[in-house]
Amino acid sequence: MNRINPLYVGLLLLVVLALSVFELNSSKSELYEAEASYDKTAKLAVELSELKKLYASQKNMQMKLKRILAQNVLRNAGIVASYKKSRAKISAETLDKTTLDFLMAKILNSPFNIDSFEIRKLSENKASFKMEIKW
Amino acid sequence: MRFNQDKKTVFLDPHTELVVSDEKLNIILSPSLYWVKKVILPLKYAREAKKLLESLFEDVLPEGNYNYSVYKASEEGEFFIFAYEDKSILELLTKQGIPSSNIGSVHFAQSELHNLQGATKINEMQSIYVKDGIVTLVPCCWIEESGALNLEDIKLSKHKIILAQFGHIVDSSSLIKISVILGLFILLTWVELFILKQDIQKMQLQSSELFRKYKLKPTIFQNKALLKKYTKIHTNQTKLRMNFSKELQKKNIQKISYKNKILKVIL
Repeated sequence: MNRINPLYVGLLLLVVLALSVFELNSSKSELYEAEASYDKTAKLAVELSELKKLYASQKNMQMKLKRILAQNVLRNAGIVASYKKSRAKISAETLDKTTLDFLMAKILNSPFNIDSFEIRKLSENKASFKMEIKW
Repeated sequence: MRFNQDKKTVFLDPHTELVVSDEKLNIILSPSLYWVKKVILPLKYAREAKKLLESLFEDVLPEGNYNYSVYKASEEGEFFIFAYEDKSILELLTKQGIPSSNIGSVHFAQSELHNLQGATKINEMQSIYVKDGIVTLVPCCWIEESGALNLEDIKLSKHKIILAQFGHIVDSSSLIKISVILGLFILLTWVELFILKQDIQKMQLQSSELFRKYKLKPTIFQNKALLKKYTKIHTNQTKLRMNFSKELQKKNIQKISYKNKILKVIL
């Protein structure tokens, strides 16, 4: 007589249901974690992308610096600029006050990663200038 | 000569003591263990009659938890219908020392012994006798000449029943309802699970898309390290600009320099 005990059938269904609910809860946790991880990654990606745009693009930084130095006020001011793979050096033996103010304002208002600089007063209206920018 | 997979066949009756060993047995139920009726129904198949059985025995049976069985007796729409209590049969089997695992098949005396000639003695007090096609149980003293029941050569018919061991605990309709509800819950759970898995997969794809779109490094660890590096640069540069504008307020500055993140002013 091979009739299956109905209680076993009920028990089996209950076990299947319990396992399914357990799996469902695990999947819910997995989804919450995936969502949290996505939000975290998205935030990190946006922040990193913005900062990289500011400080990591060598091409952009170089172009920006060249555009500044090519301006009428600075073009003939005797500023020497040398560009390397990861940095640029700009210097001037002597700069008048107006030109120096203009140059510093332009550089400080742009997101350059200034590694070092030196401004030395030569006279009431003149100063020497050296700066190193990293990217 | 033995049939039905060489299993021994026994006749089960409350007043007959069985001597059995631990082996599979075919059981023939004594008429005292079931109720039988011969009815004529305008139906072609026995399965069509199944749903009518309970009502056909209505008001005839004493109170109990019955199961029903039917088979066709002739092509003229004659059916034998049966009512029996699984619980009492199983109890009797246990009493006779036959565990349910040793039950091969269970048949009614009606289907197996309807061709008996005359009365056949089944124990000291009772005989079985076929009257108008119905196998009935009669006291021995009613019939003078009774032969003994020989089941050695009997060929069992295909009309058999399956005893529901727990039919008296959970009736099948309740069980079906509970099973359907549980099944529905399981189905709902699986549907939700499927949707969740899809969402997880979608979320993982979106994360990959994020890495591609923002050209991130392969691991979060690397990206965090990069973010830390650029945040530090940004903080230093912001601080430099703030300090520089503050220092410029001073008068008579001779030299102003910035190196190793230190701003020096010489007046």
